[in-house]
Amino acid sequence: MSRTDVLKDYSIASTLLSDRTLTGIAMGFLLAVMTFFMLYPVYDICRLSFFKEGVLTLTNYADYFTNARIFRSLTNSLYVAFVTTAITTVMAFFFAYGLTRTTIPGKGIFYTISTFPLIAPSIIQGLALILLFGRNGLVTRYLLQTDWNIYGATGIIAAECLYCFPNALFILYTTLSAVDTRLDEAAQSLGASALKTFYKVTLPAAKYGIASAAALVFNLTITDFGVPVVIGGNYSVLATEIYQQVIGMQRFDLGATISVILLIPSVGAFLLNYYLTKKSYALISGQARPFLQPSRPFKKWAFSIYCWIPCLLILIVFGSVFLGSFVKTWPYDFSLTLRHYNFPSLGGHAPLWTNFWASVLKGEWQSIIAYKYAPIWNSLWVSILVAVGGASLTLLAGYIVEKKKPKGEQVLYTLSVLPAAIPGTVMGLGYILAFNKPYYFFYGTFWIIIINIIICNFTLGVLSSIANLKQIDRSIEEAAVSLGANPVTTFTRVVFPLTKTAFFSNMAFFFMRAMTTISAVIFLISAKVKLAAIEIIFLDIDGRTASANAMCTIIIVIVVGMLLAMRLITGKAGLKGMAVSN
Amino acid sequence: MGRNLRLENLTKKFGNLVAVDHVNLEIEEGEFICFLGPSGCGKTTVLRMITGFETVTEGKVIFDGKVINDLIPQKREFGIVFQSYALFPNMTVEQNVAFGLKVRKMSKKAIAERVDQMLDLIGLRDWRHLYPAQLSGGQQQRVALVRALAPNPQVLLLDEPLSALDAKIRVRLRAEVKRLQQELKKTMIYVTHDQEEALSIADRVVVMEMGQFRQVGRPIDIYKYPASSFVADFVGTSNFFKGYRAEDRVKTEKREFKISKSESVPSGEVFLAIRPEKVEIFKQGEPPSHLESPNLVSGRIDVVTFLGAAVRLVINMDGEEVISDVIEKEFEQRQLRQGERVLLYFPPEAFILYPAKEVP
Repeated sequence: MSRTDVLKDYSIASTLLSDRTLTGIAMGFLLAVMTFFMLYPVYDICRLSFFKEGVLTLTNYADYFTNARIFRSLTNSLYVAFVTTAITTVMAFFFAYGLTRTTIPGKGIFYTISTFPLIAPSIIQGLALILLFGRNGLVTRYLLQTDWNIYGATGIIAAECLYCFPNALFILYTTLSAVDTRLDEAAQSLGASALKTFYKVTLPAAKYGIASAAALVFNLTITDFGVPVVIGGNYSVLATEIYQQVIGMQRFDLGATISVILLIPSVGAFLLNYYLTKKSYALISGQARPFLQPSRPFKKWAFSIYCWIPCLLILIVFGSVFLGSFVKTWPYDFSLTLRHYNFPSLGGHAPLWTNFWASVLKGEWQSIIAYKYAPIWNSLWVSILVAVGGASLTLLAGYIVEKKKPKGEQVLYTLSVLPAAIPGTVMGLGYILAFNKPYYFFYGTFWIIIINIIICNFTLGVLSSIANLKQIDRSIEEAAVSLGANPVTTFTRVVFPLTKTAFFSNMAFFFMRAMTTISAVIFLISAKVKLAAIEIIFLDIDGRTASANAMCTIIIVIVVGMLLAMRLITGKAGLKGMAVSN
Repeated sequence: MGRNLRLENLTKKFGNLVAVDHVNLEIEEGEFICFLGPSGCGKTTVLRMITGFETVTEGKVIFDGKVINDLIPQKREFGIVFQSYALFPNMTVEQNVAFGLKVRKMSKKAIAERVDQMLDLIGLRDWRHLYPAQLSGGQQQRVALVRALAPNPQVLLLDEPLSALDAKIRVRLRAEVKRLQQELKKTMIYVTHDQEEALSIADRVVVMEMGQFRQVGRPIDIYKYPASSFVADFVGTSNFFKGYRAEDRVKTEKREFKISKSESVPSGEVFLAIRPEKVEIFKQGEPPSHLESPNLVSGRIDVVTFLGAAVRLVINMDGEEVISDVIEKEFEQRQLRQGERVLLYFPPEAFILYPAKEVP
């Protein structure tokens, strides 16, 4: 059986582009994208804050630190962030402990409910707390008839705690499930009391996970914009102060200066989190978890009750916003109505959508569907493009970093994980400074918003792509290559099918972020391009709280619908590992 | 003249580490070559340079008279079988085997024929619609084998293909690989750290250590005439004595052995090696009188290990341990027991000598 008999004229095409060339092209493209859309805007911010009329100066910083009102935003931010970090980390730790180390019933329900805050804009926590404890709050006005209300630091902290809860929980849950429970059993068999075991064995083993969760919460809180803007009242924090200075006062230089100041704690927390996560993974033994001893009845009851507390709070948040969107006048008239879903005219216009519905519908329906719902259509459209684009780009970047490892791969990796360190508001301002020039045709369009959301959320997408690609044995790809497959075939026929599930869950993540993100894109929307999540803020500022609730509800419904669709497609779901970091 | 594969001064360096150190070898078409060596000796690196997955630092890989150092793996058309099977988990058995044919844009009909032919070779025709995860390890590796063979590669490279399998299946598959090789007359290069596997399967064995080829030869020659004390130790088991050679005598620390005069190793510091099955054992008072007395040593049986067909005895000669293998039948007949005092006889012609300085 000679070679020519069997396979006659079949041989490998000679026009094969070499693997290295293709890798080089893809790598160059990604580096260019990250440099232009991430480093350049940040560089522009730094430039603006340090230079005045072309001269290196610290006048902006002098201005900042001598203006007591503005300066207070720094101390306010730090105060809010530290308190939130302490509360959230402790709460999430015991919650994670209950889910991993006790035999309480209903762990699945607890876990699912605790992920709810991820599917809504962070602002939902603020809206709910206002409905309950605001000036016209159900509890404050209606039940207690007090003048006290939650606006200010208390409100921000309470809302941020709920918002950051699932993010901290994921890290602590992973840490606690990975730490070998046999250590605990060994300690107890040696005569240590339960309490002693806890703080001599359990806590030290989880210390890196705890610190990493704390750093993440700190980063999330200090960079968040949605919560302080609705519930902060006069309590100014760094993220909202940037917006105030830039949009309110047109003080771009001060906005840039505050951005640089905000970058310091946020990058610090990010680096700390990054370093600690690596440390924490080194402690994970990889051994199978032995059977969990049934907990004593007291422990079981205590943890069951404890776990219900955050879950109930989250349910109340979602329930009140949901209900608040359907009742006539909260909290005085609870008769049901749909009128809040007829948004005040936002003057929205969406490509395709508006023209299509305007031509089909007449009268009031035309104005509702074609114009008033345009931001929702915009958001949906942006989210779909962000989902596809973000998942593809992060898969490509992950593939190059994890599998191809060309020269300079470390640079690409660093640029890919960096976005999580940059607060959304800073990135948003950076985009204005860098791209608000006539020759950047994409400025003021959809596309800049899409690019911005993809870049801002690049970190998590790349990290999850890398984690997934790590599971594919190197020899699988080599097998395809040795059989004659070119790089493109190898990727499409072998690598991609094996990462499909991760790709879809990355798509879901990007979609969710695009639907719910506020901080960066609030700088980029224009009269022509409006987004649903941003409209919540404007509705709220206009005093149309009920309609803000309605908009929020619509976003949640869309996100939940998308998650269900994903579940149908992939057969798997779950928000695990989708904790945001921006 | 066949399509030979030649390695010329082939060298691979990873930074300062020399993984493969100027090796030379000519592999004939249709030959079954085995690279044998401990882990980290560079055998897989040699294989990966032949496949093209590893770049060559220095030297040449020559196939059919052409230097192929810079040829991309796809164009080399060498089949590879991996230790981890590396079947595509998202494809059925059939699709896996057809993969290399599809990328060559063969007609549907030709592909179907070839796949049938291949599956028949391994008797897995009825399993064609199953996914790799539904097969046992042995079946998966058989599929991987014919998947690599399907595009009719010029050379088949196998990287520790059986290491992940159970001992029993390993032996059975080993025979199957050998049968396929003889049937298809395909050049095969097989990497393993299992000396038994290498000796039983290959036409020629290449013993590697620290990036260098220590010995290249037929299995029987490697076993009978190990070229160095490393080979003597790594392939099979050997007893070693350090000593000083003068004429036909070697003086060790405790005694003096007579050796065969034909040994070419010069006088001076030497290592004496002898295979366990060459060491003869006699009960006290049993040895025939004609045996050379200096090579007769008394000792005590310390450990008895039953190996199946043979029994391995560890014998203590005044603090020196010697291994001797006797066949099981003889062991029973002569009623050798642990703790018993015996006489050992080292036949002079069974000793192999190595200069002492070559041992690191």
